[in-house]
Amino acid sequence: MANQFYWQLPTSGDARYGNATKQRRGEASDPHYPVFGNGITDPRRNAFSYFDYIHQVTKAADLAGFQGVFIPDNPDGEEPWIVAGYVGRSTQRLKLLTQFDASRGSAVYAAKNAVSFQRYTGGRFAWHITEGSSDEHTRKQLGDFVPKADILARIDEFITVAKGVLTTFPFNFVGRFFEVQDGGFQGPLSDREVPSIYLGGNSAEQLELSAKHADVHVLDAASHEAIAQQIAAYHKLAQGRAVAFSLRIDVLARETREEALEDATRFLTQTGATIPADDSALLWPGFAEQHTGAKASLIGSYDEVAAALAAYAHVGVTQFVLAAVPHFEEAYRVGTHVLPLVRQLTNPAHKQAA
Amino acid sequence: MSIDVFWRIPTHGEPGSHRARDPFRGDWFPGNDNKTLSGLGGGGDDGFTYIDYLAEIARAAEISGFQGGLIPSFPNTDEPWVISAFLARETKNFRFMIPFQPGFLNPVVAARMTASLQRATGGRALYNVITGGGGPSQLWWGDPVKHDDRYGRTTEFLDVLKGIWAGGPFSYNGQFYQVEDAGLPDPLSKEEYPEIYFSGSSDAALASASKHADYYLSWLEPLDLIKEKFARVKERTDHLGRKIKCSIRVDIVARPTEEEAWREVSRGFENIPKEILDRYIAQNAGDSVGANRQRGLRPQTINSYKDFILSPNIWTGFSLLRGGQTLGIVGSYENVAARLDELVQLGTDAFILASTPHLEEAYRVGEEVLPLVRGKSGASNLRAVA
Repeated sequence: MANQFYWQLPTSGDARYGNATKQRRGEASDPHYPVFGNGITDPRRNAFSYFDYIHQVTKAADLAGFQGVFIPDNPDGEEPWIVAGYVGRSTQRLKLLTQFDASRGSAVYAAKNAVSFQRYTGGRFAWHITEGSSDEHTRKQLGDFVPKADILARIDEFITVAKGVLTTFPFNFVGRFFEVQDGGFQGPLSDREVPSIYLGGNSAEQLELSAKHADVHVLDAASHEAIAQQIAAYHKLAQGRAVAFSLRIDVLARETREEALEDATRFLTQTGATIPADDSALLWPGFAEQHTGAKASLIGSYDEVAAALAAYAHVGVTQFVLAAVPHFEEAYRVGTHVLPLVRQLTNPAHKQAA
Repeated sequence: MSIDVFWRIPTHGEPGSHRARDPFRGDWFPGNDNKTLSGLGGGGDDGFTYIDYLAEIARAAEISGFQGGLIPSFPNTDEPWVISAFLARETKNFRFMIPFQPGFLNPVVAARMTASLQRATGGRALYNVITGGGGPSQLWWGDPVKHDDRYGRTTEFLDVLKGIWAGGPFSYNGQFYQVEDAGLPDPLSKEEYPEIYFSGSSDAALASASKHADYYLSWLEPLDLIKEKFARVKERTDHLGRKIKCSIRVDIVARPTEEEAWREVSRGFENIPKEILDRYIAQNAGDSVGANRQRGLRPQTINSYKDFILSPNIWTGFSLLRGGQTLGIVGSYENVAARLDELVQLGTDAFILASTPHLEEAYRVGEEVLPLVRGKSGASNLRAVA
């Protein structure tokens, strides 16, 4: 199967500059971020919101040849399920990979809402279930008082219950976190596709949970060797239960490596970060992590970045979740200049028409 | 003060009229699998999904002058949060009234969902908070909490939601919910707090409503009961130093003449299968106090639709035609407007109206009935007829 490319939606703000972390395009004027000076009238008033911009990024990803959008759950940003519905109505092909953690409430209610997504999108809804913040105080701010040691057990139950009510009637379950009696959806809500389930992490417990429940195991950006090792570690543990592997990685690709380095340097200067003395590496750890959440970014020419992505595919990655700042313009750039090269490298039969 | 009038979104599918179940719109009808409309599109999958039909109704309602619509949630229907998010972009004024049981969501997640929906729609989200159970047991929904405790939980849920809404920091240590230094992030914290319509007839419900609700929402009941119920909730709310408004959710059949309206009901009644009538007589389920009150109004013997006429233009057989509440208003446009005005006189500040089919009837009620309603001002907007 051909590789799949997802583009990340900027759910908590997006801007051209590294130092404009809070800017939200399309947002009604914020006194902290004045738009035009006195010389120009601003006709927009409150006609647009940040959601209009998120919508544009989504359409850009669709037009630029991505197979899906990844809707990250940033507690400082928009709620991912609302974003998924908002962009789901006006897209026909894109998968909606929606991130959340199992503290959101009833697993039955989540599953029931998922059914509506599946009915309205022809089965394009997918779940990326995370463990939430590793910081206990942050989790308590989000209303989650379950101790860290129980988080994976709750995810396990959440998925068991959600799959149960989606596929079985009557479904009964009594667990530590969830309980259902004679549950399960009927009528038009029955027999709906379970959303594809994405889980992540590299510990033995996390890999075991993926082996039990996941369709796709999510890997954070790391070197090709590290990714190959993580995939091997999964296979050693999973005893034959297959998952697909997805790589969450940023890209900064330009026509030439020099231009890429120039823009990378400018971005780091704007964010106040240290510019590495040796800029020969392709993979820059932590490059735009504050903006996008990705652990590292590939920085280089279109050819270099495409070759690096193809090399991940070579060690077993079949899905890529990509991002770059600003998300709208970069969706077109990556879709236009990088993805076709990756497709050629990973599937030589897939030639662009001359 | 004018009256807010909402429409209703038929999340459970609907027939093309009150008269018969078939042809049916939506895939709830056996044989109508995967189809939005039956009999059209040559059978088979018509390529549309039910949201395409709901989008038409939401547009019809906003074009016809309704505030928005109630989007009910039942075990076999799509969920209102999803419907609202899907329809956000293709509606302009339509306000999404989202019913939900607070117990099903972490209040911090609910606050973020709501604030995002406000941002996506320009502040068009509002709640219909539901606590009492109808239909299957709460454990079908995965909810182990008992009836009276559920109202306590609803109160706590709304305490937390309100506490974190404007940004916090807010801490709370309740029986059901805890948060520590919580608050919505900027700019989600700048959104308007959603209006809250609150349903429930028990004492526990009224206690919770009086603390948090903007509108107390009741089904249509006999007028003396409505009057007493509204008085009760207003008294409890006054006691807390708050003001609450009252609203009524009611089905109507409005036609140019009263005779035509009753003909519609009569034809519908003739088409009710006998087993449904028998089941109706035997029915007894759920711990919803409101539903039990409505069941007490059933006629002793049933020979014709007329046995269900409770008072002028009030018919108690609506649940037989399409499920849900039993009382509704049947009459000419003038009759229906007059009955609505009577309810305004009893203290009603808002209505959620519905009729079948919701699409075409949105235009009819918006064009023919609403202009005749005098409301509190007393002056109707009667048009000169040439």
